[in-house]
Amino acid sequence: MCGIAAIYGYSDSSESRKKTLVNMIASLEHRGPDGWGYYISPDIALGQARLSIVDVKGGHQPMISDDHIIIFNGEIFNYIELRAELEQKNVKFSTTSDTEVLLKAFEVYGLSCFEKLNGQFSVLIWNKKTKDLVVARDRFGIRPLYILDFHSKFYFASELKAFDQVENYQREYYAQNLFAHGLLWNTFGDDTIYQNIRSLPGGHFAIYKNGVLHKEKCYYELGTTLTSKYSSYNEAEEAFKEIMDDAVQIQLRSDVPVGAYLSGGIDSSVILHLINKHAINKFKTFSITFADKEYDESEYQLDMAKSINSEHHSIEITYKSIDQYLPEAVYHFERPVFRTAPVPLYLLSKLVRENDVKVVLTGEGADEILWGYDSYKEIKLLNFWSKYPDSKIRPQLIKKLYPHLNHYNDEKQFGMMKMFYEGFLDNINNDFASLNIRIHNNQILQNYFNKEHLVSFDKDSLLNEMRPLFPKNFDKFNILQKNQYLEMKTLLSGYLLSSQGDRMSLANSVEGRYPFLDHRVVDMLFSMKENYKLNGFNQKYILKKSYEHNIPSSIINRPKRPYMAPDLKSFFINGKLTDNASFFLSEGLLNDYGIFNSKWVHRFISKYKDGINGNIGYRDNMIITFILTAQIANYWMKNPRSNKLSEENLTIAINDYN
Amino acid sequence: MSTTVITKTEIQNELMEFLCRQFLVETEDIDITKSLVDTGIIDSMGLIEIASYISKKYEFKVEEQHMNRDNFGSVIKIVDFIYRVKTS
Repeated sequence: MCGIAAIYGYSDSSESRKKTLVNMIASLEHRGPDGWGYYISPDIALGQARLSIVDVKGGHQPMISDDHIIIFNGEIFNYIELRAELEQKNVKFSTTSDTEVLLKAFEVYGLSCFEKLNGQFSVLIWNKKTKDLVVARDRFGIRPLYILDFHSKFYFASELKAFDQVENYQREYYAQNLFAHGLLWNTFGDDTIYQNIRSLPGGHFAIYKNGVLHKEKCYYELGTTLTSKYSSYNEAEEAFKEIMDDAVQIQLRSDVPVGAYLSGGIDSSVILHLINKHAINKFKTFSITFADKEYDESEYQLDMAKSINSEHHSIEITYKSIDQYLPEAVYHFERPVFRTAPVPLYLLSKLVRENDVKVVLTGEGADEILWGYDSYKEIKLLNFWSKYPDSKIRPQLIKKLYPHLNHYNDEKQFGMMKMFYEGFLDNINNDFASLNIRIHNNQILQNYFNKEHLVSFDKDSLLNEMRPLFPKNFDKFNILQKNQYLEMKTLLSGYLLSSQGDRMSLANSVEGRYPFLDHRVVDMLFSMKENYKLNGFNQKYILKKSYEHNIPSSIINRPKRPYMAPDLKSFFINGKLTDNASFFLSEGLLNDYGIFNSKWVHRFISKYKDGINGNIGYRDNMIITFILTAQIANYWMKNPRSNKLSEENLTIAINDYN
Repeated sequence: MSTTVITKTEIQNELMEFLCRQFLVETEDIDITKSLVDTGIIDSMGLIEIASYISKKYEFKVEEQHMNRDNFGSVIKIVDFIYRVKTS
């Protein structure tokens, strides 16, 4: 795993080119503290900070061949099979790294090589002769790649903070996109919340030629195959288990020790069971526990750790630790978020690193592909109820939607909950699926933006903007598949994998790997029969059934609950904001940055001046977390850190100006 | 309460004040003829908070048979509902 940075566009000064590139790489050193390298020429500059995992001694970058230079962030898990295939074609290798396999695969197969890769990556490949630049990103956007268009040059980087090192450039929010991010939990397509910066979408490659973007193409789309080849449940289960087994096995490939996160839910438990099956040595597991028992899952974590006899480590999170480490976490994820849940993950990866582990396998992606989120139940219910809106029985299922939220299963409140959902019956088929409810709950954020930004919201226009980006066969998806597509394009790629995944692990130089996001697993499940995934309201049915004899029954049978951390409660002590929150939400800083209306924000804060009584709903937790993290991200934009790389760690230095 | 004469205007003013305070909106954000849910003023918790406000302020319990759009479909409908119960 690594950080990559590049500058594309002519420059006649090798000194200034090198200086900017090296500063960009330095800002990404946390992603790769084991070594760094660069290539500079009048046409391009390519740099990389490396976290050595495969071929520790040989895989330095930029890697160079007769015609090409590559910088690469990520892992190609099937590099052994691909290498064997290339060797059959008499391709010679001088290292044992996956980087070289990717480079040679590109030279042999051209742009179709990306379809052959099983991995998580972003990559830039420069052809010295044709002067074409090819950039590509893995199917689901696990590894980031941002592109800044500034003063007739394109800048590429794994994280946005690298752009803050570009001379005369000042990163700024684009308010309308910031609001769209607020509605969807992520911007859609290649947009970011920043002016002049886009991201290369997952599953895409692009070619830059003669100083401009020449072509961009999608090489992978979710849901290309909609028919399942399995004639019975048993056949499907066998195939699923086989592919899961292989997905975990190839993701264990590493020349350094691999550990795993243990959340206490079924997803990470299944991964741990499969690691345990293949691991030769005892391995390390890592968990988050909470002082506030409302969030704590340690009982299940210990059950699982005991059953696989792992070397188990955990870290306890308090309100204070959320408040204290939020600014550091935001420094890494570089955008507003809606929950504080990434902060414990920042502290968890720190614990991993302190225990000499560089790679962890985790359960991300399972909720999306196995329909584990409560939003799938919500959509299924609304779809079912909308066929007979007058039914007295169908809406009764509301009580089973969110078992962890008291007001859902309280008989006395049923009438109110029914009334809330009735409002969605008419438009549930408008292609937004569960995003209807997310957008509904988040549109209140508009009130907090300063009026001068003119942020606006119209559901139909938003949908019209998004529709052209949907797959061609989107109309053939059923409503739950549509929901999966949207969850994967919004919540998963731009939020969970980014703010909670990539950034929180690499902040402490730890690489996360996600076996559920092996594309073979994703594709197989997408076309599988609906009731193999969501059986009635029984979520992740096939996963539970496949492994019910392999993991503790306490975990199989436990009620599903999302991973969450205390939000609003972490920022108030006896009715007063904590020092951190008070600094970032001060009238001065709010007015200085000008995004949010300070009067509105202070009105919100005063709502809690007498302390926090009773339950805090989703909305208030979301509002304060969004505004506070947007302010902190803005602070880091305006106060970028500078970092210096050690010359001792310089492994590759190529100056092609002569 | 039951002996005091109450007007719809009073109920509406008190309700609007509660809505603005609790859900952090301005009076002009609320269209009193439309559903508070549909217009995004409140989420599912909001309806429950309104029911709890009514119970405390007007000293009667909102029963399940009351929980429908005829009674809660807009500010005007909520005001009518409270008025009906209090004056019946």
